[in-house]
Amino acid sequence: MSLIPRSRTARAHILFLAVPILLFGAFYIYPIAASVRLSLHDWNGFSPDQRFVGLRNYAALWGQPRFINAVLNNLAWVAFMLTVPTGIGLALAAILDRGIRGETMFRIIFFLPFTIPAVSVGAIWRWMYEPSNGLLTTTLELVGLGGLAQNWLGDPDIVTFALMGAVAWWTTGFAFLVFFAGLRNIPEECIEAARIEGGSDWQIFWKVSFPLLWPSTIIVLGISAIDAMRLFDVIWATTKGGPAYASEVLAVQMYDLAFGRFQMGRASAVAVSLLVLSAVVIMPYIWYMTRRVQDAEVE
Amino acid sequence: MNRTATLALIAGAAFAGAPAGAQETYEIWHYYAAGSELAGMNAMIENGNAASDDAVFEGVIIPGNVVELRRQLQSAMLGGQPPAAYQSSMAFELRTFVDSGQLHPLTDVWNTVNGDEIFPEGVQRVVKIDGVPYGVPYDLSLINNIFYNKEIFEELELDAPTDWDEFDATCAALSEAGYEPLGNAGGPFWSLYNFYAPLVSVVGVDGYYDLASGELGFDSEEFSTALDLYAEHMVPCYADNWSGKTWTQTADDVVNGDTGMFMMGIWVAAYFEQAGFMAGEDFDMFPAPGTADAAIFQMDVLAVPNGPDDAIAAAEVFIEAAASTEGQAAFAVPKGSLAPNVNVDPSVYGYAGASFSEQFSAASEAGKVLPNLFFLLPTDVGTELGVQIERFAIDPSDETKEEVISTLEAMRQSALEEDAFLNW
Amino acid sequence: MMADPLKRRQTILTRLVLVCAAIVFIAPLIVAALTSLKSPAEITRVLSLPTDLWWQNYAAAFDRMGRSFFNSIAITVPAVAFSILIGAVAGYPLAYMRGAGGKAIYFLLLTGMLVPFQIVQIPLFFMIQGLGLYDTVPGMWLVHTAYGIPFCTFFMRNFFASVPRSMYEAAQIEGCGPARYFWKLLLPASTSGLSALAIIQTRAIWNDLLFAITITSSDNARPVTVSIAGYASSLQVEYGPLMAGTLVSILPVMAAFLLFQKAFVRGLLGGAGK
Repeated sequence: MSLIPRSRTARAHILFLAVPILLFGAFYIYPIAASVRLSLHDWNGFSPDQRFVGLRNYAALWGQPRFINAVLNNLAWVAFMLTVPTGIGLALAAILDRGIRGETMFRIIFFLPFTIPAVSVGAIWRWMYEPSNGLLTTTLELVGLGGLAQNWLGDPDIVTFALMGAVAWWTTGFAFLVFFAGLRNIPEECIEAARIEGGSDWQIFWKVSFPLLWPSTIIVLGISAIDAMRLFDVIWATTKGGPAYASEVLAVQMYDLAFGRFQMGRASAVAVSLLVLSAVVIMPYIWYMTRRVQDAEVE
Repeated sequence: MNRTATLALIAGAAFAGAPAGAQETYEIWHYYAAGSELAGMNAMIENGNAASDDAVFEGVIIPGNVVELRRQLQSAMLGGQPPAAYQSSMAFELRTFVDSGQLHPLTDVWNTVNGDEIFPEGVQRVVKIDGVPYGVPYDLSLINNIFYNKEIFEELELDAPTDWDEFDATCAALSEAGYEPLGNAGGPFWSLYNFYAPLVSVVGVDGYYDLASGELGFDSEEFSTALDLYAEHMVPCYADNWSGKTWTQTADDVVNGDTGMFMMGIWVAAYFEQAGFMAGEDFDMFPAPGTADAAIFQMDVLAVPNGPDDAIAAAEVFIEAAASTEGQAAFAVPKGSLAPNVNVDPSVYGYAGASFSEQFSAASEAGKVLPNLFFLLPTDVGTELGVQIERFAIDPSDETKEEVISTLEAMRQSALEEDAFLNW
Repeated sequence: MMADPLKRRQTILTRLVLVCAAIVFIAPLIVAALTSLKSPAEITRVLSLPTDLWWQNYAAAFDRMGRSFFNSIAITVPAVAFSILIGAVAGYPLAYMRGAGGKAIYFLLLTGMLVPFQIVQIPLFFMIQGLGLYDTVPGMWLVHTAYGIPFCTFFMRNFFASVPRSMYEAAQIEGCGPARYFWKLLLPASTSGLSALAIIQTRAIWNDLLFAITITSSDNARPVTVSIAGYASSLQVEYGPLMAGTLVSILPVMAAFLLFQKAFVRGLLGGAGK
């Protein structure tokens, strides 16, 4: 892009972008630069002295079992968020799109959990998962599946899956909402045409509706992956990363190091690592998806 | 600084900075946001306001716990807008802020209230940094008591056990009768607090302080024996799925007659009573084996950040009121904790509080008042100790034990290198 | 249609699936609603029904929430409007710019979505304090607008990209400048996208806790999430008022949902090309 705008259109575009870019620089670039700088220092968060330590904070993290465990948990969350809440949201939207009585009521119910603050989600699911008298264990016992009941939030091997259940409940409403709107956006003629050609509902969905849902899908998948990397609130409100780090993700670890242990420098190194990891995992994906939309448009 | 001078200073500041007649408002930050904790805090703030003519004190709730409070303090301190005073933990917590040059020494107000006389020696140690007081205690809780459901004990004709063998027998009897013998809850604190009982049984008071100062290693024979003792007597006794419960959920199990015993800080007594489960009638308590004549305590203090003179003067007025017998009782009674001031008449407490108070006095005389190890250790070592003990309680295998010991010992070594340990 | 037995079975099956899903979605909220009506003594039994309806929890929640509830409304309504507008303003050129410059800017703005908000806290505090907006409602508008940029831009850019390009070209031929096209044609034709984003932003801003505790400190600007979080203390949690407060705080978001949902569907059914 040359510095002198070539046309009235380009000038307008630059004017439109000025305010967002200005805000972005102040509220994102500057804090990130501050974090990168801090990650090279040893600082307790309160002292006037910050000691430069080079890459020591990074060296201390990488290879540490606690750090690796959190990275793996983040990756597991990405895999989960891309598939489960998204899949359930799509399925519910597709079923409800068939024109069912009480549609509005179902729509409200599926969206409801998404409106709840994280701290309340944590408190509610602490009861759901209470291992002896909670709703989940009690229900399983009632239907004769008591053997499947687990120490949901207390077993290091189970806890992340349990939290995923709570998060699926919390966030599926978002995927549902976007997919439902997307399905309603599909012109009726496309569906009719396919039906006249004798396609079954199943075929029509996958061959006609689903490809036309691309714009919705891009949004849902992109946001899900990002939420998975940034995940913090619900874990902090429910287990604080425990027991013994089992459910810890990077954002939780960063918080614990910064304010639980007065290690701001190391916490910043976790933050920067998280940023880099997110960029590596997610940016190519978003880029790819964005290009696909453009290509589809150009055709 | 005496009180008249203090008031004059505040009056001067108010006159200079605000229209005549206006009262300055000073913030007291804390994270006691709910239930009996909030009731105690509000009573203490009211007491401060009653004692002050000019300054108005306002409690500001920081939602969360000590971690969130530190986060708020960080921006406030760096931004030059700290509260007049705030709720702080003891010992290493104070040390970190003092080393960072953020706290105002409380020598003046300490002398005014006669801190060396009214607070027990074990309490004084953990609020003074190099001999200078930086925190004034107001909220003390014992953490070495085991609470039990009286109805269950009466039904099975059990008495409060006094040593580990009797404790084992009690557990076995409860188990046999279909009760969960001993409750516990998930998180880095509760298993650690339980572990203090076997730890003190093995290392004694001196060993406990040696561990705190880094002189006794986590790879020592003593620490290993303490872990074994814990794994042998307490861990097998724990209720199924304990690690998946919060402490209030386990307390509910005791109220509902599912669980016989629960080793927890004395705040659980306030929680029980709030649920209509009364001390002396429905539940009772005994010190954990090995800590019969000792008192292990957790304590919060008021700390004063460096700031404008008027704010410091106001904070000192507030602290003076909070340290008085009325101020201490105002907080402790609704909160269900103990007043650190020894002059508070035990008759202000109910059944539970009176017996804790007695236990604390006896331990004071015996020289066995022990501050929570978590806060005596450098912050990252203390936190890691909590995490590792919970991990061991979930899986008390030899393999885990080795990993626990090597993780902690590695942390001790690096803390030694940085000269982080302190002799309290 | 109902004559076809296969069709009929399918309908019954889908209904069954929906009802089961609805039960799973609503069950935790029913437990929450029951808890909000229990006295402290009854709360020890998780699944019991409350014997008396303990409305005091709602009174307690209102008492504590009071002012913060109105703060939340004063923060959320303008902040949603600003953040959507700025998303549209940024998304519009990015949807039409062809060339590396546009892509680079888009990529840059998107990276903002990867930033964990916990790390911006200290610099943010200083900026807001420097602007004199600490503990004010406009300070919250600014923060939510700024931190909404990546997502709102992402959303609106994708939406605009799906609006038929022919509309833009036709407008250009008729001599309609880019700014006029945006305000007079594109925005009015984008009701559905704007409404969908409004729902998402309302929920995000209404439920924000992190920014609220970073740059507000008193009832001047403190939103309702801070009050709700206040029921979960260091050691104790007052479940009754916590759940009562939660249920009450959901209502505005649901209202926004219903409101925008209507505009949303209407906009869609009317078609974007009108």
